[in-house]
Amino acid sequence: MKRLKKILSIALIGSVLFSSTACSNDIKPSSVSNTQQNKDKVIELKFWHSMGGKGGEAINKMVDDFNKAHPNIKVTAQYQGTYDDALNKLKASEQSKSGPDIMQVYDIGTKFMIDSGWTTPVQEFIDEDKFDTSKLEPNLLSYYTVNGKLYSMPFNSSTPILYYNKNAFKEAGIDPNNPPNNFNEIEKYGKKLVKKDASGKITQYGYSMAIYGWFFEQFMAKQGALYANNGNGRDKEATAVVFNNDAGLNIINWWKKLVDEGIAGNFGRKTDDTKNAFIAGRTAMIIESTASLKSILDGVGNKFKVGTAYLPALNDSKDGGVIIGGASLWILNNKPKEYQKAAWEFVKFMISPEEQVFWNENTGYFPVTKEAYDLPEMSAHLEKYPQFKTAIEQLHSTPINRATQGALMGVFPEARQIIEQNIEKVLNNQATPKQALDDAEKNVNSALENYNKTLNR
Amino acid sequence: MTDYVRWLIKGILLYLVNIILIFIVVFPIIYAISVSFMPDSEAFQYPPRLIPDSFYLGNYIEALKSVPILRFISNSFIVSIIVTIGQILTSSLAAYAFTFYEFKGKNIIFAIFLSTMMIPAEAIIIANYLTIRQLGLLNTYAGLILPYLSSALGIFLLRQFYLTIPKDYYEAAQLDGCTRFGFLIKVVMPLSRPAIGSLAVYSFLMTWNQYMWPLLITNTDNMRTVQIGISMLQWSDSQSFGLIMAGVIMILIPSIMIFIFGQKQLVDGLNAGALKG
Amino acid sequence: MERTESIANFSNAIGDSELKNDVIRFKNNIEPYLYIFPSAIVFATFVFYPFIKTIYISLFLTDPQGNLSKFIGLQNYIDIFKSADYINSIYLTLKFVIMTVPLEMIIAFILSISANLRLKGIEFITTIYTLPIAISSASAAVIWMLLFNPSIGFINYILSFFGIHGIGWLTDAKYGMISVSIVNVWLNVGINFIFMLAGLKSISKDLYESAQIDGANIFVQHIKITIPMLSPTLFFLITVDFINAFQEFGVINIMTQGGPVNSTNVMVYSIYRDAFFNFRYGNGAAESIILFILLLIFALLQFASSEKKVFYK
Repeated sequence: MKRLKKILSIALIGSVLFSSTACSNDIKPSSVSNTQQNKDKVIELKFWHSMGGKGGEAINKMVDDFNKAHPNIKVTAQYQGTYDDALNKLKASEQSKSGPDIMQVYDIGTKFMIDSGWTTPVQEFIDEDKFDTSKLEPNLLSYYTVNGKLYSMPFNSSTPILYYNKNAFKEAGIDPNNPPNNFNEIEKYGKKLVKKDASGKITQYGYSMAIYGWFFEQFMAKQGALYANNGNGRDKEATAVVFNNDAGLNIINWWKKLVDEGIAGNFGRKTDDTKNAFIAGRTAMIIESTASLKSILDGVGNKFKVGTAYLPALNDSKDGGVIIGGASLWILNNKPKEYQKAAWEFVKFMISPEEQVFWNENTGYFPVTKEAYDLPEMSAHLEKYPQFKTAIEQLHSTPINRATQGALMGVFPEARQIIEQNIEKVLNNQATPKQALDDAEKNVNSALENYNKTLNR
Repeated sequence: MTDYVRWLIKGILLYLVNIILIFIVVFPIIYAISVSFMPDSEAFQYPPRLIPDSFYLGNYIEALKSVPILRFISNSFIVSIIVTIGQILTSSLAAYAFTFYEFKGKNIIFAIFLSTMMIPAEAIIIANYLTIRQLGLLNTYAGLILPYLSSALGIFLLRQFYLTIPKDYYEAAQLDGCTRFGFLIKVVMPLSRPAIGSLAVYSFLMTWNQYMWPLLITNTDNMRTVQIGISMLQWSDSQSFGLIMAGVIMILIPSIMIFIFGQKQLVDGLNAGALKG
Repeated sequence: MERTESIANFSNAIGDSELKNDVIRFKNNIEPYLYIFPSAIVFATFVFYPFIKTIYISLFLTDPQGNLSKFIGLQNYIDIFKSADYINSIYLTLKFVIMTVPLEMIIAFILSISANLRLKGIEFITTIYTLPIAISSASAAVIWMLLFNPSIGFINYILSFFGIHGIGWLTDAKYGMISVSIVNVWLNVGINFIFMLAGLKSISKDLYESAQIDGANIFVQHIKITIPMLSPTLFFLITVDFINAFQEFGVINIMTQGGPVNSTNVMVYSIYRDAFFNFRYGNGAAESIILFILLLIFALLQFASSEKKVFYK
């Protein structure tokens, strides 16, 4: 019996300890609401992000700078794994209201975040604060603007561009300053760029792209075509996808044709694998995110010269362009207004020109604000990486319309996976492009229907 | 003479087979080590390289700079060691009951215990998060440790081992005036050192290699564990493989050390057991 | 530590104060339950309680945020069995189990026998064989992805010397499952090896010597002595490997994400996708219940068929 008593008493002490710490957690916000203390009170904010490596280091530095400049606010940056990991953690923590105050969420999580009701649209703070948004990049704002309201602040933004090996171009007798503009030229140049060894094995492909759903979305937008109905889900809730048409077929047909002709290599779903093949000189052109520029240049070193160009066109649509990828900053609404206002101060700081230049230099994401280009550091940086100018020009030349704003769908992560799976089917000769699109359409639509059914509307 | 030749050939063959197998087994690790000493411009070349041009330390410096990896290693150490000890204790006790006692519901309880291995971790992780949160243990060592303090695998393993202990050992122990609990502590557990050693290695590494659970319940760098450190070195838009490999190698060193140490224990245990037997 | 001491004091106290006969009966009634109590508490709190919650959730339609939105009875289960993808994932899981468990067992068995021989440097060899288990499945997947890279990977580079070119380890639907299996075997052989070696060491050398005198060759010796003597360990390992293979997730999540063309979309990966990405927590919950029931049936069959053949003592 002695033992049992001991166990019981341990359990008792344990539970008292647990409950007391639980209490102190809950009390914190209310105990400091005393107005007298307001002046020297410090508001503590949690900022969840998904930036590893250099990106994480840059965020920590920016957060430190913010805290130094704002003695009344203390932001703690907390890395929460990949975008998907972080979103799952948010879901779990919101069930017990213990989430962050500011959160970085990826582009395709936008609809989910709006539907969750966990956030306050940044538009509210913009209006209250009379914050001038005309200085911000309109293409970035348009992605995160829904029903005329800016829901979250674009933070790390990127688009896809074509990277090519200038030395390989020269060797194949192609002008290295005249990269391909469309897929006809990709095919033409690609044929010349393919290199084979004595046994007939390909040692250098002409062109490659990872099987990544994002690229499919981009090529739809490049043709000025919608991905989902109801104006890409921006006029009204999307109820079906609309990629099963000529525009969608065009993409997959080209993809398959280039692979079948031995011009394009298939390096799988991971963009890294395709990127590394490019760095190793095993493929002369690739499609990759603008944010990968630095790692590509570091990897290539002196082996060859890297050129960049716009995403190649599939038709001669004038309304086409690229969609913004990356992530944005959300303000959560589970704390009192003063916390949210402090969070807004932080968001404003993060998109200020100085911080954005620093951010761009360290990560390769677009500056969110146009004022960044007025700073001498930025010009110096562009001088050093002239390849990045392509990315900026491509962004600015993209017209803003429903197609280039990108689709809004709650089930986007799943849709991407379905598309990837079906493109793989085509490249593995298990389905024709038409069959693949039929299947993809059917599966995404049923997921959409499921999602819409659970929304409490 | 022919016997000697046969013996010689057999020996050489054995070594040869072992050397080939060793090569296959360690090659990926050697490759990871060598990539960790290459700048990115060297890592991606064709034909691929195995030996770095120079002893480049940039990846290690960068990894140490961007992630508090030493802190993560010490956290993982604390958590893994406590979990390991906890599992050995709870499993030894439970396995003892399941092996040496007849009691009501024994088989059913054993089956229920074993069934915990069959529940996919993904199915219970969110609910466990909510429990730990309710206990106020988010971002604490206790939160990292508590759910793993017992292991059906450990109970099963030790039961399998206990079953091989001859019954006359108990009779002898009883004659010496050993209580049943004394028999467990003084005879059964020392005899099962090899099994306990294997379990310890297993528990330690399982805990060391956790990712999802620590990510979910910890928030700050001072509570985080090594696998999160590895993911902090990765960044989807701008991956550096040398950097990741440097991280992988750094967190591999402590676990290998535990391993070699554990193995020595194991071997000593075997010798001790042999003496007694 | 303190707890075990208190147990020791407790049992000593009883042993001293009570009559022997009574004591043994008393112990038989209470003692075994005390021994299993700590484990039972942990399991009840962190496995069964959440699992019961999961069963409950599986009867609901869940909204994207993970809240229960509508009771739908067994609809999730019916939907699952109607889905061709899910049936396929059961098939793929079995395929994965068959491709990994026997190999893991056989290779580890051979390695452990060779490591049990009295060879010079055997301790070093033993350490080497067990190295891979020190690596987490996530790290291993990253390393192997580099090795499997279709263009710059080392494996294809080495194969090219043998006239084999450009195998799409992670891009060709024919090879996806093979690649994932190779990595898993590589990761898991070590732990089987340790357990088997520990078992082998405890087999008395006398048994082999007397068999040798009877004229049995090495092969017969292993069949007649090693396997029966090792059977409790082997039984344990088969059961555990089996359960682990059914729940494989880590390597697939990083290397193939269920692809290419769904060729590695095993059950746990599908649960993970549905519960954490596709906003169908209810579905994911139902899938995990089905996996649990399947595993339970398999395990019971295994226990029923092998426990009798296992040789204890």
